[in-house]
Amino acid sequence: MSEKEKTHFGYKEVDKDAKAGLVADVFHSVAARYDLMNDLMSGGIHRIWKRFTIEVSGVRVGHSVLDIAGGTGDLAARFVDIVGPSGRVVLADINDSMLQVGRDKLLDTGRLGNIEFVQADGQCLPFPDDSFDCITIAFGLRNVTDKDAALRDMHRVLKPGGRLLVLEFSKPQNELLGRAYDAYSFNVLPLMGRLVANDSESYQYLAESIRVHPDQETLKEMMEDAGFGRCEYHNMTGGIVALHKGVKG
Amino acid sequence: MSGAIDPTVHTAVLAALEAAVNRALALAPRGREQLGELAGRVFALHCSAPAVDIYLQPTAQGVRLMGRYDGPVTTSVRGAASDFTELATSRDPAATLINGRLQLDGDSAALIELQKTLAGLDIDWEAPLVDTLGDVAGHQLAQILRGALGWGRQAGHSLGRQLEEFIHEEARLSPPRLELEDFYRDVQSLEMRVERLQSRAQRLRRRLAQFRR
Repeated sequence: MSEKEKTHFGYKEVDKDAKAGLVADVFHSVAARYDLMNDLMSGGIHRIWKRFTIEVSGVRVGHSVLDIAGGTGDLAARFVDIVGPSGRVVLADINDSMLQVGRDKLLDTGRLGNIEFVQADGQCLPFPDDSFDCITIAFGLRNVTDKDAALRDMHRVLKPGGRLLVLEFSKPQNELLGRAYDAYSFNVLPLMGRLVANDSESYQYLAESIRVHPDQETLKEMMEDAGFGRCEYHNMTGGIVALHKGVKG
Repeated sequence: MSGAIDPTVHTAVLAALEAAVNRALALAPRGREQLGELAGRVFALHCSAPAVDIYLQPTAQGVRLMGRYDGPVTTSVRGAASDFTELATSRDPAATLINGRLQLDGDSAALIELQKTLAGLDIDWEAPLVDTLGDVAGHQLAQILRGALGWGRQAGHSLGRQLEEFIHEEARLSPPRLELEDFYRDVQSLEMRVERLQSRAQRLRRRLAQFRR
């Protein structure tokens, strides 16, 4: 019998089939305090990174937008306001706990009518070809088991000329900043996770998964291999986070 | 914004600015209503010194400020920060646009409308004070602040006038504006007369050369 295919789960090597379940456990565990933890961990800067993503998206009134791994709906909420009643926003997440939190948040703020909620895996998107003007995936790609397959499927459901935006942790461009960031990620984050979300392991996974995620240039090449053109990226906060953009030709 | 500024920094600055403008607009319902009439238009402000690009989009809720925008732009304005300040504070924005150094593309009427709305914001400071402190204390504090603001504005104008008078008339550190404009006109007319004299001399020289042959 052949050996099962392996993939990363943080620094651990796990069976490819098992990763989705393990990631799901992480997000079931942190869903309730996800927004609070994001604010604490990043000092609120994640809002600025997401705001820049919205600017680069070029989304306008009437557009159709898919937010994959949309979690608690930060990006989707802004897109709902921008596209207006003639547009359409789909908030997709593989994890039902996260989707539930996102749906409650959006509906509680009066956002309905042009928003749909779909539980979906980023690798197998349940949409027809050429459906969206823009796809965003913020801090989600590193949790996907087969990133290449996910990028190819995003390319499939984008309309020609549509944009994919990948906002993800990346490689700091300055060595000193990189060391300070490592010290913060492996010492402060798990401690914060234990104190606030009563779960240090999930935040240990977060720090590890960031380190094994492809760096800026590698992700750009992966997007080109998936068929995207005019690929470029913007480093933010010294490269701790990068926003990659690709256009379907 | 362009150049080597980290997008995090410029996005944070614009987010803070947008929050401040929208906070002010929330206290000026008439201004917000007027801005709502411009909803959907996008104004591109390209500043050359310092090099900053800002895209301003009025919405029904306030304004949206962006560092980049890929869609169609209603009006695009280019110039230095000082030119934009001049336009923002101008009582006659149309004249400032015609006579100033700003380079304009697109719909100027919409830009003038925007300038008038933002410059004429009548902010009601009393509303948040009354909400926080109650009717009596809030109203009294608002009266005091209004008085202090009015006095400050008057004192500022008066100081500005006296300072101008001292610089021009007493210390004679700089000539008054009218004198300076006269001087510029004289220089211009002298320049034209010299040019005419020069061309006349050239003509005479050519004629002399022909006469010698």
